Amino acid sequence: MSRVAVIGAGMTKFVRRAQDSSGELAAQAVRMALDDAGMDIGEIDAVCLGTAPDAFDGVHMKGEHLIAGAGGTRKPYMRHYVGGGTGVMSPIHGWMHVASGKFRTCLVVTEEKMSPCNPHPAGAFLTIFDRLTEQPLELTLIHIFALEMARLMHVYGYTEEEIASISVAHKRNAIDHPAAQLGENLTVADVMNSTLLSWPVKRLDISPTSDGAVAIVLSNERIARAKKPAPVFIEGVGYRLDTAYWCTRDLAYPNYVALAAQDAYKMAGVDNPTKQIDIWEPYDPFDYKALHHMNALCLDKTGKTVRQLFDSGAFDRATGSHPMCPSGGALGVGNPIAATGLMKIAELYFQLSGQAGKRQIPHTVRRGVAQAWGDLMQVGTVVVMGAEGAPPTFRSAWSTMTKAGLGATPIRDVDKVPSVADAPDLRYLWDNGFALTTYLDGLKKGKLRGSLDKRTGRMMIPPRSFQELSDLDPVTDYFDLPDTGTVKTYTLSHVNWDSSILPDGRINVFAVIAIDGAGEDMGLVHLLGDVDPKDVAIGMRVKAVWKPAEERTGSILDIRHFAPIKGKEKGKLAITPVKPVEINAATAQAKAGKIPLTYKYTAGIAGTKFYKDLAAGKLTGTYAPAVDAVLVPPAMFDEHAMELLDPEKNARALDPNSGVIESFTIVFEDRQGELLDDPATIVQVRFPGTIGSVFGRLEAKVGAEFGEGTPVKLAKRRKITGPDEVVFQLK
Amino acid sequence: MGVAVLGVGLSGFAPTSTGVSYREMIAHAAKRAYADAGITVDQIDGAVSVEEDLVSGYSIADEYTPDQLGVVRKPVYTIPGDFLHGIGSAVMQIRTGQFNVVVVEGYSKASNILSKDELLRFAFDPVFHRFGVSPHYLAGIEMRTFLTESDYEIEDVAEVVVKNRARALANPVAPYGDRFAIADVLDARMVAYPVTELMFPRHADGAVVVVLGTDAIARECARKPVYISGTGWGSGNSILERRDHGRSVGTEIAAAAAYQEAGIGDPTADVDAFFVSDLYAHRELMHLEALNAYDAPPEIVNPDGGCLGTGDLFEANGGARFVAAVQQLRGEAGASQLPVKRALVQGWRGLPTDSCAVAILDAERRAK
Repeated sequence: MSRVAVIGAGMTKFVRRAQDSSGELAAQAVRMALDDAGMDIGEIDAVCLGTAPDAFDGVHMKGEHLIAGAGGTRKPYMRHYVGGGTGVMSPIHGWMHVASGKFRTCLVVTEEKMSPCNPHPAGAFLTIFDRLTEQPLELTLIHIFALEMARLMHVYGYTEEEIASISVAHKRNAIDHPAAQLGENLTVADVMNSTLLSWPVKRLDISPTSDGAVAIVLSNERIARAKKPAPVFIEGVGYRLDTAYWCTRDLAYPNYVALAAQDAYKMAGVDNPTKQIDIWEPYDPFDYKALHHMNALCLDKTGKTVRQLFDSGAFDRATGSHPMCPSGGALGVGNPIAATGLMKIAELYFQLSGQAGKRQIPHTVRRGVAQAWGDLMQVGTVVVMGAEGAPPTFRSAWSTMTKAGLGATPIRDVDKVPSVADAPDLRYLWDNGFALTTYLDGLKKGKLRGSLDKRTGRMMIPPRSFQELSDLDPVTDYFDLPDTGTVKTYTLSHVNWDSSILPDGRINVFAVIAIDGAGEDMGLVHLLGDVDPKDVAIGMRVKAVWKPAEERTGSILDIRHFAPIKGKEKGKLAITPVKPVEINAATAQAKAGKIPLTYKYTAGIAGTKFYKDLAAGKLTGTYAPAVDAVLVPPAMFDEHAMELLDPEKNARALDPNSGVIESFTIVFEDRQGELLDDPATIVQVRFPGTIGSVFGRLEAKVGAEFGEGTPVKLAKRRKITGPDEVVFQLK
Repeated sequence: MGVAVLGVGLSGFAPTSTGVSYREMIAHAAKRAYADAGITVDQIDGAVSVEEDLVSGYSIADEYTPDQLGVVRKPVYTIPGDFLHGIGSAVMQIRTGQFNVVVVEGYSKASNILSKDELLRFAFDPVFHRFGVSPHYLAGIEMRTFLTESDYEIEDVAEVVVKNRARALANPVAPYGDRFAIADVLDARMVAYPVTELMFPRHADGAVVVVLGTDAIARECARKPVYISGTGWGSGNSILERRDHGRSVGTEIAAAAAYQEAGIGDPTADVDAFFVSDLYAHRELMHLEALNAYDAPPEIVNPDGGCLGTGDLFEANGGARFVAAVQQLRGEAGASQLPVKRALVQGWRGLPTDSCAVAILDAERRAK
């Protein structure tokens, strides 16, 4: 196995809203990383990309969209993905590229542009939940974070104030980070007094939504030693993905992170992490998550190790023995999801090579760990990195970097720059399948149903037709279970799925409830009702409140909510065998779904130039020195040389009337596949003396003749709303 | 370190799969693959799922991958690429020496997506290429460029359809086997001139699971291992204005790497069967050009009927071809069987990409 080193890093500023397109953000990070590594793109053998949901940037197959910006043009290029854990999976996937011996170098790029997503990027999280058993409850990520935080507080005894101190520390650390979005001096009181979103989570407990990109260069040992005086090596990697049935685990301790850490430590030869690791960069999208993840990174389910470190001030960057998130973390630097994880890897690289400038940990650091987390409280990704004895302070571009040295153009209002709106109409009808058909049939009849794995005695709710934990054993026995249970954790929510505040001071109480007869590790999430929120407690006994039979449709919403059981419970719990529903053409049903998001995309730096020109009846290209040619449409980077360009300064005027049809098609269907009343002609048009072309519609009279080589002119448009307004006419 | 195919499993393929959830469909394919590989779940070190957000209707779709593969709490990640990209990634994983057995999975529940064209359109750049018309427009541009730049005629494109749909009649898992004449294809309803509705496949539901492992494990467990001797992947320009729409640069890059690893100098002479993406019929020809196998006899290209015959399975497309190649190499291809000792599988991500991957499979481990 080849040893793998990090030999360069680059990043943009992390900002709430960037004018730059997704690809332009990535390209700026890539250029910096290549410069830092002392390489040009030709020395890169492969590119791997990490980016989280397509729903943020608002482009399906987002990795394909990002190829040019990531430097992947005409290269082996591959995107990997584990939700929020992607950013630390990225160097792991890059490590595979090099450690396997297949490639000498690998450029690892991460990007997230969350700002195009409306009504709020958090709305993208509605569709991460199971569409049958959870989405109807209109959950969002804040809710399950809050459920987890409440559970952590219950099990490990942390107070809200103690947790808030993490947010304070990370945001303070971020003041010294050049990319930081939210570096500031706050107090615990500031966090405690910030808007309560979903108890116990308050606004300042949470990292922001962000746009940004980070890139690093990985190489084998030979190249690393040639390029860098003191390379930083990836010593160990680990990643583990837990079940999607997130209510089946105790949310207090992330076993999957601990398992990933164990893998990474084993590879790195670390057998006592608290003694052998000098820098800790746990994922901190919420402040409690830092503690939650540190318990797992320290491999201590009792939580005593982390409690002791926390109480003794060990996590302080300047004075602590176990500095945590010296970068400022997601809470301070910002959280463009995948880019955040790689920012943490970059921080280990800076710290371990002595390039961290004002953030440099004052004592000698030889080894660090970075971790990310994501999905449905489900995935842990861990990387251990080590130096061989870097100089304590190594002056480099990074050690004196300021915000002005980083790319990304922050904007406040998308409507103040050229932008394109789109509302994708994505509709589905999901086959419920065998097990859930029986479950939904039970709900319609006012029953909670489970299925029993006889080999392990595990009663599963919702039922499965196979046992996911033991060799996919078939499961054939179904039962009606009691509709009572015990609250394992809860949150008092003031927000909707799209992060808007609930009207009229309303509070939704979401809880994970361990259903009687299905065991403590077999919960389901639902609403609590008929209870004063302040009386809700972990351990509370509850019972389902069903809609009247005539209103039930076979949905999780057939249960209005669960309500506290008042008085003494009587009788024995009834667990009754039932015959599962036979699947036939009448019983096989499907559940309708959709993606409830709309988008507003900035045109990007280059697109802005194109559309502004078009509105003025002009066309320009961008001169690219590396290829000594003019690129069309305008570009802010040359995708072959990965040189950054300025579409204004490098503009070259072109004659909009000098176009020639390169290729064309006549389209007979609309965007949904319905027949168009009038077929549309789309043309690809070249302009002499340039590299590239422009795609647009062709306006031509019925019967007009055209084809490849036909001259056309680009029409001036007053109002530019997107590609449909790019119109060519026959000359 | 040598990497081998230990086992393969399919579930489907069919235009619909009502009454079966995606989880149940994948679990079925997984059980078949594990049985074929002669392994139990506890022997699996990790898994790669190959899928893309929103095809499954989920954001963060990778959440829903481990359970039905039996790999809960194991090293699992998702590759949003063609199935063959997942194969390439899994091979690297094993070659690090840290993993012995890795599973690759892909599936399609295309019948559950009511707005497939809109979903494809959502993959286009919103600022420059997301027109208010069918996203198949790019196939029209591409086919037109290909025919202009090459010596092929539109009848050659139609011939691909005729061949693959007929081949699928002999493939028991292919739902779209049928007999057409070239005129049927050319005269079919026009979607995006010159692309008619018969020039691209209808969709299908189905799941594909492949078990990979070291050669040593393969010899120990597998009923009939097949050996991977080369992998490669590559991407052309994602900026459509500056892409050459007449050729597949992504395939050229992928093939160069795979040929080098496998020691292939003359693909037509060295490879006995080619499985290449025909997601649009002209792409079969374009990919053969890029593979430098333009002169491969038609009877050894997509003997299973290709995507046109088995249906478009989204990310699982390359998986369907991969399994068909394994069956050929094992001599288990039934009525489609050819004399095959070495097969090439090529996958394409589909529009609007030129992202492609290639794998070279051998019936026996060969010295280079």
